[in-house]
Amino acid sequence: MRMTSLEASATAAHGAIRFLGTRRAYWRLLVRGALLLIVTLGIYRFWLATDVRRFLWANTEVAGETLEYTGTPFELLIGFLMAITILVPVYAGFFLGALGLGTIGQLSGVIAFAALAVLGQYAVYRARRYRLTRTIYRGLRFHQGGSASAYALRAVLWWLATALTLGLAYPFQLASLERYKMRNTYYGDIAGHFAGSGLRLLWRGLPMWLMVFAPLALTVGAFVMAVDWKALGDALGAGSDDVMSRIEGGNPQLAGVIVFAMLMAGTAVTLAALLYPAFQALVLRWWSSGLSFGELSVTSTLRMRHVYGAYVRFLWYGLLFCIAMAVLGAVGLVAVGLLAGSGPTGAAGEIAATGLLLIGYVIMALGFSTIYRATVLLSLWQLGMESLQLSGLSALDRVKAGGTPSSALGEGLADALNVGGY
Amino acid sequence: MTTGAGIYFDGQTSVRQDVGVALGASGLEIAGRDGRLLAQWPYDQIEGLAAPDSVLRLGRRGSAALERLEITDTQFAAIIDARALHVDRTGLRQRRQRIRVIGWSVAATASLLLVAWFGVPAIAERLAPLLPAGIERKLGEAVDMQVRTLLDNRRLGAGFECGSQDSEKPGRAAFDKLMQKLQTAADLPLPVRGIVVRRTEANAMALPGGQIYVFRGLIEKAATADEVAGVIAHELGHVAHRDGSKAVLQAGGLSFLFGMLLGDFVGGGAVVLAAKSVLQSSYSREAEAAADAYGTALMNKAGGNARALASMLEKIGGATEPGMQILLDHPETKARIAAINRLAAERPAEPMLDAEEWAALKRICAG
Repeated sequence: MRMTSLEASATAAHGAIRFLGTRRAYWRLLVRGALLLIVTLGIYRFWLATDVRRFLWANTEVAGETLEYTGTPFELLIGFLMAITILVPVYAGFFLGALGLGTIGQLSGVIAFAALAVLGQYAVYRARRYRLTRTIYRGLRFHQGGSASAYALRAVLWWLATALTLGLAYPFQLASLERYKMRNTYYGDIAGHFAGSGLRLLWRGLPMWLMVFAPLALTVGAFVMAVDWKALGDALGAGSDDVMSRIEGGNPQLAGVIVFAMLMAGTAVTLAALLYPAFQALVLRWWSSGLSFGELSVTSTLRMRHVYGAYVRFLWYGLLFCIAMAVLGAVGLVAVGLLAGSGPTGAAGEIAATGLLLIGYVIMALGFSTIYRATVLLSLWQLGMESLQLSGLSALDRVKAGGTPSSALGEGLADALNVGGY
Repeated sequence: MTTGAGIYFDGQTSVRQDVGVALGASGLEIAGRDGRLLAQWPYDQIEGLAAPDSVLRLGRRGSAALERLEITDTQFAAIIDARALHVDRTGLRQRRQRIRVIGWSVAATASLLLVAWFGVPAIAERLAPLLPAGIERKLGEAVDMQVRTLLDNRRLGAGFECGSQDSEKPGRAAFDKLMQKLQTAADLPLPVRGIVVRRTEANAMALPGGQIYVFRGLIEKAATADEVAGVIAHELGHVAHRDGSKAVLQAGGLSFLFGMLLGDFVGGGAVVLAAKSVLQSSYSREAEAAADAYGTALMNKAGGNARALASMLEKIGGATEPGMQILLDHPETKARIAAINRLAAERPAEPMLDAEEWAALKRICAG
């Protein structure tokens, strides 16, 4: 991996973006943060998020000057409290609605899901505004205009389209939403612009899409061929209790088809997992190559194998972590067994066992999220930044100040609704 | 060293200016290459900002413009750090602030746990009796649907409820008679619906709104009709005390406390679930004792053998509810049995069902 960063740094010399941070410092920051998250039952996350951003921003050097993150943990905390103020009545309303009479009661789940989906996208846009207005470069602020509600509506409609087209609309969704974001993004007084084409991304991503969906299509085809539809209709029409056995009786080939379907589904999932880093690299390269601020434009030379390298390191550290946890867990079990031999049994023992399981679970989850952040996310940031080639840098010499800091409500909502980013 | 080099941004434009920085008596004096004074920053208005390790980045506190001064000379940076109050390169002040945060959040955790342990059950206890019957029935229906999907794991074929097929009808009649006797004695303000379901465990449960499930395993394990009646009486105790609604209110309160207030750091949802199950199993202990007392009194009143509840409890190891696995040799079950026997009246001459009816009830799930 050291090789990789050297390679990437070499291209950065003329690309004008360098990442100065060390992995060691980032690991230290994350591990300390994970421990404090456990101790504080998660409240430390505002401090950890701020530390992470300070580190990433401050160590990213563009044309000889580093970025600066000026957000504070207290802003995030207050944003979260504001979000709670909004969400508590909303949740209470849905709870009461679910108990309500008739159609409203039955639909309340759907309404709640739709409302929270819109609110989540609203939060995403406002959180982006918060992060941009806390990003300082050369003494000037980034900022973001536009309407979060308009964005949320757009985003939800696009997600719907993407779901209905089995993902084929996704490139157009990305392009459209990114255009909206970027044309409302400013560095000082110069506006951003996004020129990426959805069609181009679709064209490049189509082979991957086909590889994942071909096995699924084969499965559907096999079902259509193998199932004796008349027998199936009869079995369902008979209205007996024992529908399953009738279906099986009418379709002797069905068992084989089900095995085939499971194999194909497994293939599709495996392929999707294997192709995911390539897809991520593709999208990242496409996205960053479409960005521009005034005359300053960007092209990306991100390599797929570097992204795969990051995932390989993630798996490697994850394996080491699992081994360490297994050893610790075995020791813990033996200790508990010894204690239980002499100590309280029954209910107290049950609670102790549940508590231990809980702690083990929290450590596993936090451990993996820490490893993921320290390997994949850091590498994506570093590779994404260092693979950029900037042109028209002289545009940066005559920018005027603009924009004011925004509230952290969006961050709070995104946090409470679990749609946060970096 | 009283002067040094720096890079200055005035916060108005992005122009990068190489400047000379002089340590004045009361503040930094920043001058351009041509010697023109660009800015004067009093030492108590200078703050240190996030920057890579090799750079000291300074700004002016409370200034609307984002003026920045960057010093790369480590020695000169150290001198400025020593003079400026709000520059904190060692991170000492930041560490102190964080320790305060940790202290407060540990205190918050303790208070949260106390509320979860004492406050939530107390609130549920007081709120449950105030629930209107209509809402309680709705709650019951919602819980009923979930419980059915959880419990109903039989193959398609015979229904989940016993007693619907012709060969099961006499059993159903016997069961209804037993329910009727107990209900008349209990005289509850809300209608109770009891059914036998096809589950092999020796168990029973009461849902909010007066729905009682008796598992076929319980009827198979029982030696007399009074033993079945004893467990139903215990469940009627849960209905009378509105324990089902209390459990729902408690679950809601706990998921609100842990889920909403703490937010969801990785895997928080699972933590919430586990925390809830631990806390709820501790709530149910007192509820079980109260339901035992109610059940015993009800059996006395209905003319049944109240000791049958104790003997049934002994057989099924104290687990009157699914998920409550307290071993028989545990003192708690022994204490429950002793308490029931203390309260039980003398054994009546007549069993709750005659021999024929009891034989029919045994076959309620035979179809």
